[in-house]
Amino acid sequence: MQEEKDAPRHFFVHTEADLCLGCSLCVKRCPTRAIRVRDGKAAVKHSVCIGCGECIRICEQGAITASTSDLNSLSSDKISIALVSPVLYSQFPGILPRDILQGLKSMGFTHAVDMAYYFEMFQWATAEYVSRNRKTGESPWPLISPVCPVVIRLIVHRFPSLLPHVHPIMRPVALMARDVLSQFKHHYGIEGHDILLYYINPCPSKMGIPKKELGKGTHSTGALGINDIYAELSRQIKHLEKSDKIPFAQAGYEFEQCTSGGGILWSLSGGEAEATGLERILAVAGLYETITYLEKIEIGLFRDIEYIEFRACREGCIGGALNAIDKYLAKSAALKMSKVLGVGTRLNRERVLRLYDSNWFFPKVSPQDLKKIGGQQEKTFSFEEMRLIEEIVRIIDGKSCGACGSPDCRTFAEDLVKGEAAPEDCVYLELRGIQNTDLHEKLKSLKKRP
Amino acid sequence: MTSIHKSYHVAKNDFIHAGEASIHVKNLLKSMNYNQDLVRRVAICGYEAEMNLVMHGGDGELSVDVNSERVILEVADRGPGILDIELAMQEGYSTAKEEYREMGFGAGMGLPNMKKNSDALKITSEPGQGTHVSMTFYNKG
Repeated sequence: MQEEKDAPRHFFVHTEADLCLGCSLCVKRCPTRAIRVRDGKAAVKHSVCIGCGECIRICEQGAITASTSDLNSLSSDKISIALVSPVLYSQFPGILPRDILQGLKSMGFTHAVDMAYYFEMFQWATAEYVSRNRKTGESPWPLISPVCPVVIRLIVHRFPSLLPHVHPIMRPVALMARDVLSQFKHHYGIEGHDILLYYINPCPSKMGIPKKELGKGTHSTGALGINDIYAELSRQIKHLEKSDKIPFAQAGYEFEQCTSGGGILWSLSGGEAEATGLERILAVAGLYETITYLEKIEIGLFRDIEYIEFRACREGCIGGALNAIDKYLAKSAALKMSKVLGVGTRLNRERVLRLYDSNWFFPKVSPQDLKKIGGQQEKTFSFEEMRLIEEIVRIIDGKSCGACGSPDCRTFAEDLVKGEAAPEDCVYLELRGIQNTDLHEKLKSLKKRP
Repeated sequence: MTSIHKSYHVAKNDFIHAGEASIHVKNLLKSMNYNQDLVRRVAICGYEAEMNLVMHGGDGELSVDVNSERVILEVADRGPGILDIELAMQEGYSTAKEEYREMGFGAGMGLPNMKKNSDALKITSEPGQGTHVSMTFYNKG
């Protein structure tokens, strides 16, 4: 398939034509209908892909992989900093987070930074925003968590009318990237260009953090899948265990921001919701559950709920497609570790409020910018086009067999009207005897559209 | 001008699937790029109407008729009908069963909400003959 002109620079997934059987499992699974089988191979419309990873999970051939950042640059003369999602800890049952951070440094990262501190910042700011919103009514209820990037792109693509519901506080990883960058610039007395940030996480959305969120003179943050680094990190951690362990008190800079039990809970569905301390709050996990809820919010339901934590992956981020171990093993490990470390708050609320009032938490990107970052909205049709689509669906009267390479009959009809498919792609259309009818002529002329 | 017409069956007491017809209608309008406010109003009215079918109407039908100028949403059921339409239009008036109210439904806002969110609303009902509600929404571009 030809690359689309308007495709975003980042492709979330990559298909391996040699491995693809053209079975169309991924075609039917994709929540944004971004995949078609063309010439017997899966082809992704990157401009409407939201990076959810469903196709990676369902492909039995392993023909779809996430696009990854390159780790080679670790050996360069730049300062490389690992921003660590707490999900990483859940992948090593029984190992303390600080040892995992140390393992990253042994791998070649100059620094490894835990997120717990930024989670806590975010939760205070969220509680504050919700409480103020009760008076100002600035945002409509329910607020939608900005944390899961797949959910945000899903909203941009399929539910743009819900953009005003997106909680306007910067997500923890963006707060972290901005703050870490500014601290290390100061620490080393160097420019942002000489610092490379890598977000280590289980999410095929691979977005890292766009430059736009971080300000001038910086690189966008790279993103590494946990499964990209798992083998090497495991070796380093084993090696550490054999050598003398670092005394607790000397664990260094990282430990000052080291994780808490509450931070670890963020890797599970409900961890964010629990941390905010709000009562009228829901935690919803799983892509299809999320879509159902967004549909319902769009018909006016859940106005009595103040905040919804959505995660595209089942069980939350531990269910991310780029994890190394099974999500239920990871869940068990995360729950145990959160007990070992203990939950509680450590930050001074007054200080957080001062930052809040100085707009520290508010991104420079508006919902309109989100539209740009998040990709394309779903294509719409004119009244006449829609009538044609309805007519085609009625005539095919098929079982959404998928033989045409589109996920279902309706999408095929839409593709036909858009000029992206041909009438002969459908096994039913021929059978229905539409040759030599007006419709057939009309459909043929559609194909010729540029 | 011809129009696009669709209808959906809504089953009595089926709280699990209540709202699905409205979601379909909403998505149809969205894919035709109707303005967000109109889509929102149709969706809210559709959902209220569906809940009325689920709670009071017995099995019924929700149908939508769309052209580029307006959307007509119609709900018809073979339920008990409405004894006093004027009373039923008042906010907070409800004949919902206690069990439904315990579930958080039946606050007596259904018909008033439908009136508020549609451009024109017409109810015809006879006790024992079922209820027919028709709502029109004009597309103001």
